[in-house]
Amino acid sequence: MAEVILENICKIYGNNFRAIDQLNLSVEDGEFLILVGPSGCGKSTALRMIAGLEDITSGSLRIGGVDVVDMPPKDRDIAMVFQSYALYPHMTVSENIAFSMRLAGKPKAERKKRVDEIAKTLQLTSLLDSKPANLSGGQRQRVAMGRAMVREPAAFLMDEPLSNLDAKLRVQMRAEITSLQKQLGVTTIYVTHDQIEAMTMGDRVAVLKGGVLQQVDTPKRLYESPVNAFVAGFIGSPSMNLFEATLMGDELMSGSFAIRLQDAAFVRRPGLRSYAGRKIVFGIRPEDLYDSSLESGRKYQTIPAKVTSIEELGSEHIVHLNIDAVRVDSGDPDAVDDFGLASNAVARFEPVSAVHSGSEIRLAVDDAKFHFFDPETHLAI
Amino acid sequence: MTRQKRSHHRLKRAVAPYLYLSPSLLIIGLLMLLPMVTVIGYSFQNSAVLRRDPSFAGLKHYQAIFADPVFWASLWHTLYFTCMSVVFHMTIGMVFALMLNSDRINPTLRNILRVLYILPWLFTAVIIAVIWRLLLEPNGVVNSVLMQMGIIGSKVEWFSSPATALHAVTFANIWAGYPLFMVSLLAGLQGIPRDFYEAADIDGAKAYQKLIFITIPQLMPIIISISLLDFIWTMQVFPLIWITTGGGPIYSTEVLSTYTYKLAFSSYNLSQASASAVVILLISLGLTLLYIRYQKAR
Repeated sequence: MAEVILENICKIYGNNFRAIDQLNLSVEDGEFLILVGPSGCGKSTALRMIAGLEDITSGSLRIGGVDVVDMPPKDRDIAMVFQSYALYPHMTVSENIAFSMRLAGKPKAERKKRVDEIAKTLQLTSLLDSKPANLSGGQRQRVAMGRAMVREPAAFLMDEPLSNLDAKLRVQMRAEITSLQKQLGVTTIYVTHDQIEAMTMGDRVAVLKGGVLQQVDTPKRLYESPVNAFVAGFIGSPSMNLFEATLMGDELMSGSFAIRLQDAAFVRRPGLRSYAGRKIVFGIRPEDLYDSSLESGRKYQTIPAKVTSIEELGSEHIVHLNIDAVRVDSGDPDAVDDFGLASNAVARFEPVSAVHSGSEIRLAVDDAKFHFFDPETHLAI
Repeated sequence: MTRQKRSHHRLKRAVAPYLYLSPSLLIIGLLMLLPMVTVIGYSFQNSAVLRRDPSFAGLKHYQAIFADPVFWASLWHTLYFTCMSVVFHMTIGMVFALMLNSDRINPTLRNILRVLYILPWLFTAVIIAVIWRLLLEPNGVVNSVLMQMGIIGSKVEWFSSPATALHAVTFANIWAGYPLFMVSLLAGLQGIPRDFYEAADIDGAKAYQKLIFITIPQLMPIIISISLLDFIWTMQVFPLIWITTGGGPIYSTEVLSTYTYKLAFSSYNLSQASASAVVILLISLGLTLLYIRYQKAR
């Protein structure tokens, strides 16, 4: 077990493409850190650099206090779980798990003892003689975990290990990996593009965009206090609604509506006053928008909206709406999927809501939950 | 639909595949099965082809060839020629494929090597035979180079000496045949996921361990398939041996194909030649069955 420290890590490819730019991260001993971001943000490159599969252009990387920048992967005391699992199809489960011990020349009896222990932990005992082709996705995933565990490494590196599983199994495996990590207490760096995995599994989450670290924090703080519009849009599903408005006195003016801000909003964010008379970006999460005809929405200010479509999920309704405001792009390529062509906002209504597609409604807005961003820099105010 | 209509429809569906297959079945029957059955028939006749009413000979011709020491020498030479060819085709093919697949070689050099290595495949057997006859002549390039390097003291008659002739034709055949393995193995190597090697790097595998534990097992289906096919094809090689040595000197490069050819067209003993051809057929058939069984098992 060890802490992993990245200082000013850069990765520049031959064509001058900067995949990682000045990455500074400190992963504590036993911590479960998630690296998250949209496709191409450099999260897998960062993980592969920690593993030693990718050269580091500049910067320092220490695992357990040892500088490992010039060390080959085998000497870094890490184990990696690949997205494809990388299980050898010609070897049995037992041979796959024991492979690193076999390479190290460990005696057969010792290998068997260790494999049996791991198989028991991962409930793979009855599958030890099977080949990977005969296993289900979840079982293969567990074998890949077993192969990493057998080395008793200082740190686990996991590269989107759940992306090949179906939705139900992914939920189950999320819980299994989290509890296994807690049980083993091994420092773990886990890469994913799925922000639900990021929010549910990690002790802390590092959000990357275009090779630049945006924010490292606990899932809760990341959700409640995003440092910029990108993090605000990326974390949360459906994404936060971001709109352009003008701050006139204590009112937010946008299109045909105005929302009065409470004094508390200015007290919490002293910088907000300086935007008076200027453009500003405000954000509101889908769960902070309400159906004004229901009890839950009665106490808030309302704005006009047109319902464009509804996804009835049973426990809630995801309602796509069009409001008279200019939507702001957070810079997250995946966020576009949350909005249809005709809608520019998403709300999460209680299942008792009777709104239907095409209806004109009054949308209740909990203005105390607003997030504010600078329209140029997109930094939180 | 009435019952009659339904059974008519069913019959049409059952017959249709055979109708589609019939042109190729007809051609295979006329060009392959018919000659094969005829040759098997000849092997049980006295003076086959030469007489209008040949008499039944039973197993006489088989007994004759099995009693002929030249047949056994040919069989041994065929096995030596085939086994050595297949083993070296595979080894050289593998080494070159690994080289061409390596990231460590400059891409331009790799493209040049790719063309150079595949060159032997472009030549027909006759051209290969002529090239090697010229190269291995007593006054040829090979002798001259080897003498200059001090490896041999005097000129060697590679194709004319019983001690070296079989090795020389085998060498020429190895040179001509490795590109098939090289190309197939290169395709196989490019299909091995990169993750396998990266996972092995993290586990601490050395280069030779990656070759033994990952590359070779991953290529095994290709190695077995191509080896079996090469075994079947090499057993039947005729023009290369016929043009370089003609089976000599003193039967030292006689293989089953040249032995059969001589029986048929030098001695005009077509019945015995047919019996010899049937023996080749049976050996090839055995190997083919092995190949089909392996393919089915996969």
